[in-house]
Amino acid sequence: MAGSVTGGPLIRPDETLQGIGGTVTAIPLTHPGNRRWWIAFAGAAALLGLFLLTLGYLLAAGPGIWGNNNAVVWALDIASYDWWIGVASGSLLVSAVLLLLGAEWRGAVNRVAETLALIATASAGLYPIIHLGRPWFFFWNLPYPNTYDLWPQFRSPLLWDAIDIVAFLVICVSLWFIGLLPDLATLRDRAQVEAMRQADAKAPTRKIALLRAQVYGIVASGWRGSAAHWQIWVQAYRTVALLGVLLVVSVQTGASVMLAGSLMPGWHSTLLPVSFLVNAIYSGVGVTAVIVMLIRLVYGLDALVTPRHLDVLGRLLLCLGCASAYCYAAEYFDTFLNGDAQARGVLARRMTGDHALVSWTAILCLVLPAQILWSARARTAPLALAAVGLLVAIGAYADHVMVLVVTLTQDFLPSSRLPYGVDIWGIATFAGSVGLFLTLLLLFLRYLPAVSIVESRRLALTEAPAVQDAARAAAARTAAGPEENPTEAPLWGVAASFASQGDLAAALKAVSGIGPDHVHLDGHGPVPMPRTLRPLGLEGRSILPYALAGALLGGAGFYGMCVYATAYDYVFLIGGRPRLSWPSFVVPSISFAMMAGCVAIHLALLVLNRLPRLNHPAFNIPGFLRASDDRFFLTAEARDDRFDAARIERRLAGLPAEAGRPLEIRRIPR
Amino acid sequence: MAQLFTPGADAIYRLALMTGVACLVGLPVLAAGIVRSNYVTGVGVAPAQPVPFSHKHHSGELGIDCRYCHTTVEKEATAGIPPTHTCMTCHSQIWTGSDMLKPVRDSYAQDKPLEWTRLNKLPQYVYYNHSVHVTKGIGCSTCHGDVTSMQMTYRANAFEMKFCLDCHRAPEKYVRTPDQVWNMTWKPPADQATLGPKLVAQNHIRGGARLTECGICHR
Repeated sequence: MAGSVTGGPLIRPDETLQGIGGTVTAIPLTHPGNRRWWIAFAGAAALLGLFLLTLGYLLAAGPGIWGNNNAVVWALDIASYDWWIGVASGSLLVSAVLLLLGAEWRGAVNRVAETLALIATASAGLYPIIHLGRPWFFFWNLPYPNTYDLWPQFRSPLLWDAIDIVAFLVICVSLWFIGLLPDLATLRDRAQVEAMRQADAKAPTRKIALLRAQVYGIVASGWRGSAAHWQIWVQAYRTVALLGVLLVVSVQTGASVMLAGSLMPGWHSTLLPVSFLVNAIYSGVGVTAVIVMLIRLVYGLDALVTPRHLDVLGRLLLCLGCASAYCYAAEYFDTFLNGDAQARGVLARRMTGDHALVSWTAILCLVLPAQILWSARARTAPLALAAVGLLVAIGAYADHVMVLVVTLTQDFLPSSRLPYGVDIWGIATFAGSVGLFLTLLLLFLRYLPAVSIVESRRLALTEAPAVQDAARAAAARTAAGPEENPTEAPLWGVAASFASQGDLAAALKAVSGIGPDHVHLDGHGPVPMPRTLRPLGLEGRSILPYALAGALLGGAGFYGMCVYATAYDYVFLIGGRPRLSWPSFVVPSISFAMMAGCVAIHLALLVLNRLPRLNHPAFNIPGFLRASDDRFFLTAEARDDRFDAARIERRLAGLPAEAGRPLEIRRIPR
Repeated sequence: MAQLFTPGADAIYRLALMTGVACLVGLPVLAAGIVRSNYVTGVGVAPAQPVPFSHKHHSGELGIDCRYCHTTVEKEATAGIPPTHTCMTCHSQIWTGSDMLKPVRDSYAQDKPLEWTRLNKLPQYVYYNHSVHVTKGIGCSTCHGDVTSMQMTYRANAFEMKFCLDCHRAPEKYVRTPDQVWNMTWKPPADQATLGPKLVAQNHIRGGARLTECGICHR
């Protein structure tokens, strides 16, 4: 997929590993555009204040403040929920699919998409809670040993949704955090360099600088870019992304079957889950495009988010726009050809009824704007792309309102046909949740890297090898020989630094034969180092069994619980469904399986990598902070007294300059 | 050279992580324990009453029938709290000078009812009818415990929904013959397994699916 994308380079050809790190970490470390940030933050915080005000009034007065004390019980609250979770699903899917397809240009987009998925889920997750009459009892939705001796009704999509949201939140946090982990280490090391500079200069802010480095250090959990870490990290990232893709389908099924499974005209359709999914992904890509363009503009990241990325986003929007148009066309075609009078009536009321404005907004915003992206010029114009993204987001919201409100305002009982109008508190609640979203987004932009440093570096290594070679040659000119510094402190091991992964791999190969039982070898570097795995003997190590075991155990456990509860422990006749309604347990079980698999991956990531480890002898290596920048380090750790440091040093120093001679060799105290 | 954290930081960090995980598990368990504790449910706690009335003395030792005071238990939804007049049927003749009974005499003289502290409460959204339970063979002690042994009266069971459902799902385990309904020390007889289903059929109790319908109690 990556190779077929046209429209200029994916990264500026003169980008170095160090340059990428500097460009991206400059934002959280030096806060450029501080004034603009504070103005934006004040606006977002004001909206958040409005949210708190609305929630206070909601708690005091009840959900009727949304004007839904009529047949439209699902008003803007559920429309907003569906929209937020749609945006989250779309963003997550974009990031996960790009990762799984191995699109190496994803670095510019994936971090923003993952962050959007996370904070949109946070905004979405609040709605199902606050739309309850007594929100403090939200946990009644979850299966837990309660004093009622009751189980939740596992046959209901309402319950699926509760499980889906929890699982979705876990996966979003997980994907976001795993992707962020090495970048946090880069940030920690750069913050530490700054803290040491300030300490030397006795700057008045030196304590804050140290605290900042330590906070990043704690969140980075002692990541030190070891080859073994990277190996597990790459696998964990991809596996969580796979779980995320499956979960997106499961979540959107839960949200749409809640409507499609009913007998209401306009909802009761097999196409509804498909159009839900399509519009969800569509709105997610739209919002991702808006935010990527905004960050690119504000922070001047043109070098990392190139016109080629814009082109890809544009093509994606165009494809989804066509899919969305197809869904609308199919719905109309099918209903007018096959549908009953009620279904035809709903379509007519959407176009001409009280809420015709909403319906036309939905259809026009979802179908038309994307069509300008047939033009290559529009696709690479940031403003055009952002405008299309925004219109798509508006259209998707209007679509949810249309689907919910038009059907509910006129159900089968003429007596329940009370008018419903979109009311001020419904809008205030949604504006408030946008405030929550923006506040979290701005905090993310201020304190965390907005573009994936690791992915951009991997891209630079493959797309701009010439400049990397030049950097390597420049480093080699400054290379020093093995240093004789016999130290009094007990020896931890020997460390050597290199300018490239190739040199490191060659050196590891050369020393891998020395005392495998008492020398523990490892490599450290700023990007995944697949070439070092063979000399380190780590090939074939896989996280998949843990993920699979976690997912299978979790899924089977949840399914077993549904069967036990519904067929044996809590026999309850509902809607004439059989005691063992096995198909309805599949959706929540899949969601739970994904969550359990994700938790298992996290545990494996920590345990297999022996993390967290805040203090480690490797950090004693002089210049080791550059292991998260542009240097590669070999460490040979002494495991017992037979360790012969001099022999390893001789072997390393004896390597030819073009194939693995280190820039520097050091003995490291414990 | 460049250690950002001291060696001890690892231990603290891991301890903090483990504490976090322990809290994640422990706090809900603690909360569940508190909710079920007698401190919250009030089981076994005898509150102060305007008169220290002893069920043990009146009903246990003297053998006064439950229905002498709780007159409507077989006919109405509520069992009925006796009016002061019921007390005075005896206490106008015996213990007429007792200090302990002064509030009863005052109540009678001033025509103001005694304000007892209520023990057994059900939420407003629960419909409960004493008469149907008593006449179909559910004894007093199944819910109220052995009142005849209580010096001061206390709540014997937390009336959580679990308690009601336990019987509604399997009434044959608790149903008694009519003569045993007022027996406060009733234990299921040896032949309850055969007697129970027989009584259930005889009294037209439709257990299981019917009695666990939401609308049976939440009308």
